[in-house]
Amino acid sequence: MRLSAPAGLSRAVLAPLRAVVLLAVVSVAVFAATELLPGDAADAVGAGRASAAQLAGLRAERGLDRPGWERWASWASALLHGDAGRSLLTGRPVVDVIGGRLPATAVLAGSAFALTAPLVLLGCVLAGRRALRRPGDAGGGLATALTAVPQVVVAAALAALLSGVLRWVPPVSLLPPGGGPPDPSILVLPVLTLALPSAAFGVALLGGVVADALRRPYVTDALVRGVPAGRVLRRHVLPVLAAPALRVLAVVVGGLAAGGALVETVFGYAGAGELLVSSVAARDTPVVQLLGLGSATAVLAVLLLADLVPVRS
Amino acid sequence: MTLKQRRPVLLIALAALAAGCSAPPPPTSGSTSTLRYVAAGSPAAASDDPHGGLANESDALRFSLLYDVLTVPGDDGTAKPRLAASWEPDRTLTRWTFRLRPEATFTDGRPVRAADVLYSLRRIERKAAENYGRLASFDTQASTAPDDHTVVLVSRTPNALAPEALESVTFVVPEGSEDFGRPVPGSGPYRMAGGDARTAVLMRNPAWWGPRPSLDGVEIRAMADPQARAAAVTSGQADVAGSVSPAAAKAAGTGVRVVRRAPVTEYPFVMRLDREPFDDPRVREAFKLAADRQALVDTVFLGYGKVANDLPTPYDASYPEDLAQRPRDVARAKKLLAAAGHADGLEVTLRTTTSYPGMDGAAALYARQLADIGVTATVRNEPPDTYWTDVWGKADFYTGYFGGIPFTDVARVALLSASPANETAWKRPAWDEAFAAALAVRDAAGRNGRLGALQKELWKDGGYVVWGLGEGLELTSPAVHGLPTGPGFQRFLLDGVRLGDAG
Repeated sequence: MRLSAPAGLSRAVLAPLRAVVLLAVVSVAVFAATELLPGDAADAVGAGRASAAQLAGLRAERGLDRPGWERWASWASALLHGDAGRSLLTGRPVVDVIGGRLPATAVLAGSAFALTAPLVLLGCVLAGRRALRRPGDAGGGLATALTAVPQVVVAAALAALLSGVLRWVPPVSLLPPGGGPPDPSILVLPVLTLALPSAAFGVALLGGVVADALRRPYVTDALVRGVPAGRVLRRHVLPVLAAPALRVLAVVVGGLAAGGALVETVFGYAGAGELLVSSVAARDTPVVQLLGLGSATAVLAVLLLADLVPVRS
Repeated sequence: MTLKQRRPVLLIALAALAAGCSAPPPPTSGSTSTLRYVAAGSPAAASDDPHGGLANESDALRFSLLYDVLTVPGDDGTAKPRLAASWEPDRTLTRWTFRLRPEATFTDGRPVRAADVLYSLRRIERKAAENYGRLASFDTQASTAPDDHTVVLVSRTPNALAPEALESVTFVVPEGSEDFGRPVPGSGPYRMAGGDARTAVLMRNPAWWGPRPSLDGVEIRAMADPQARAAAVTSGQADVAGSVSPAAAKAAGTGVRVVRRAPVTEYPFVMRLDREPFDDPRVREAFKLAADRQALVDTVFLGYGKVANDLPTPYDASYPEDLAQRPRDVARAKKLLAAAGHADGLEVTLRTTTSYPGMDGAAALYARQLADIGVTATVRNEPPDTYWTDVWGKADFYTGYFGGIPFTDVARVALLSASPANETAWKRPAWDEAFAAALAVRDAAGRNGRLGALQKELWKDGGYVVWGLGEGLELTSPAVHGLPTGPGFQRFLLDGVRLGDAG
């Protein structure tokens, strides 16, 4: 550890504190966003046919007649006591509603991440080689261009090719009804749809950092002096890359969480993302809140990790 | 779901369908005889409470298999026995005595008693805000259970069609059931064997009182997107895709079969009688005369449907068959508009949404047809999330929806002065009284004659442009036989369905 003990200690205390504050801010933001949408869960339950008195009754039953800040406060305090509340739509406990879907989403996001990481690594190696060969070239154009392709287009193109033309994998991703591990073939389309844009994004962000690191005078000097490339990489390049790589990782995790909502809906995959899309449509605030908080926690956990790794420039 | 999310699914489905044309028939579920059914349903709304809104077809299907109902719709339009084996009214048609099957038991072993039925009916009435006041015509508090197998139901007004009003939705649960966060025991032909409300596994209930259903099990998945449902069947991952779009049915290859249900889907154009310019009956008639109904049916339902005559329930036994079809008559429509003071043209806004396939297209085409009579209609496509609460039942002129409910229900929901969703502002005390009087007529022919006369008045003066009816469309593997083709809730009764050889 290069840092002095007090500095490391304060970092170790401050970073988690910052994460907790950020989580609170995220939950307020998610709550406010749901609140700002027109209509509420009572409207969704009444489906337009309930009278004004009936709607008032539905709101009272669900506590929707109280002011927003009060609802957020009681939701947050209940959550701190381990109670995530019940769905405003179906009355089912939120933990049950989401819990049943977490394994599916974990499998999907985990597989996508497992594919994204080596792809990013490969892209960075290519970017590094390019930087060494052509020191004047900025590079990264292809990755940036790929990042600009909307995920829905990636989904459609992959499905048309792999399922429509080649018939290798099914066009929709149905999970086994009783639970249990899914057939790997149904994961191909959603995983590729998530991983390819994420990897392009990661390379676009990180490729330049790699190139910069390799172009530093002491790196080129070391290489010229004949220090073995592996050792240069270990001593001078990787330490510089660790912090930005972890930050990019956090952003990629966030991207996977956000992309999951679209990908799961498009391929009929019964995970948490598909649930989020329809829960937002139905203004089911407790479900939206917990899902939002869960995604934010995943991103912040990686960011926290990045904070704890010493920055070296 | 937004259009943006829809497009790739469409592409995927088209790709899969194109491939399906040349593919061998998809494999069936094998020897266990389990039907894999992909039904329409929002994953967030998937519920275990059979007394709520039933907006998810996947829920309605599951409840129809897990729970007994008192009566079911018959092919002739009258109610047929189910949990109720027989019934008879008193002289006033306000007290109906239903006798239950004594052999019915819940899956936890308890017998189904009259107290359970009464508890369930009262719970449905209590949740009126969520289920559109489904049992509002009954006074369930005044109803009684004189013995374990008899229920005496009290109707608020004389009602010869009480057994029909109890069809399909009177799911019976054990008395005292309060936590519907998970499934409560039922007495239906199937029992819950695993999964949850989004993806359910049902197995045959060996203790069910009725004839043994052919299917050993039914797997039900709720899937929001119609194209994804169709793709599940064309790729052989499911046996039945419920409620697919006409486009998916048209594109279905030889490896799958299209099951066409009786046409009941309607996207009528709704005009409010209490707002300008629709408060003038000449304007309303002109708008009805402007509709090129065949063109609308061909474009919106791609031929899977038929033209309608501005009445919402042509499939009902009370429909006045002697009523002439209203033609397209541009010249007369222009004359009527001129007489109403709109000789120089008229500007209106027609609202629509994308909740059901083709709703937006119907409005766009009708707007072009209105241009022929000198009306400039601006189509506004509203977000489906809030359409049913902000536009439906409130706007002056918009695209509505009906899905196969009987005429008496349409009247109760939308056509009586006190109706909760009187979207056309059809408020005529004399009509209300004649409706109540018609329901008190015991003889079917006499009752239907009176209800038919009421519909003729609606045809002449009402605020609905009902231009056509779309068929309900299911996509199935060739191995599925006996899927019900009746309107409404009949499609959820899978007792007679079997999986056999393709062909």
